[in-house]
Amino acid sequence: MKFIVEDAGAYLQIKVTEARIDAAIATPFKDKLREIVVKHRKPVHLDMANVTFMDSSGLGAMIAVRKSLPDNLAIVLCAMTPNVERVFRLTRMDRVFDIRPDAIQKEANE
Amino acid sequence: MRLKAVVPPKTQPMFHRVLDADPVVVRATLTDMRHRFARDVCDDTLGRLELVMAELMNNVAEHAPVATSDRLPVIHLCIVRHQAGLACALADDGVSLPDACMLPRSLPPAIADNLPEGGFGWFLVQNLTQALCYYRASSRNYLAFNIPFMEREDENLS
Repeated sequence: MKFIVEDAGAYLQIKVTEARIDAAIATPFKDKLREIVVKHRKPVHLDMANVTFMDSSGLGAMIAVRKSLPDNLAIVLCAMTPNVERVFRLTRMDRVFDIRPDAIQKEANE
Repeated sequence: MRLKAVVPPKTQPMFHRVLDADPVVVRATLTDMRHRFARDVCDDTLGRLELVMAELMNNVAEHAPVATSDRLPVIHLCIVRHQAGLACALADDGVSLPDACMLPRSLPPAIADNLPEGGFGWFLVQNLTQALCYYRASSRNYLAFNIPFMEREDENLS
């Protein structure tokens, strides 16, 4: 389970390297990501561009991570692929998460 | 009297597999399934098929009877491309499905400060399938359903 973590100043940028967030890895995915976000205590931008498949156990892991963010810090999901976006949309979790279509852009004036 | 020329049966892509109900094996099976239909079925339909199959097969794995059996349940999977979509049949020798799975499902309530982390699987299955049928016989579960094509996709059927 590998995440590419980069401190972008105002927020933490995390790139998911796994292509599939499914029942085979949902629990370690959740535990590892939760550990990262709790340790840094910053808003999170999660780059989902590599993830081509996610099932309901993967969705459950994402929800658990969101709930574990301290002090209501934001989590933004970026660059979701259509298969992953479908799961969020059908379960109406697209209303709960902040979802942005584009890949994470480095903000020039930061 | 001459016999009419025999019309050969139309061949359509199929996928059949017998597998252990284990999430890692399920994952490999889904990847193979996707490859099998990649040329003939559009990405959107494949995505819906893959999600439904993942939910159903991982469900068998998750509810495998650990205490009473020294082996994993075995799943039989068969998918055929038809005019209107992908006809799917699944059989497994895992535990019986609760009746509630076949009743119309709604989403678990999304309470802002206590979001549900599960309970989405059967909602997704019901949402993405047509003509979902279930019966249990001789200690096996049988499920059959259709994953419909979206408009226009059936025009590609040769």
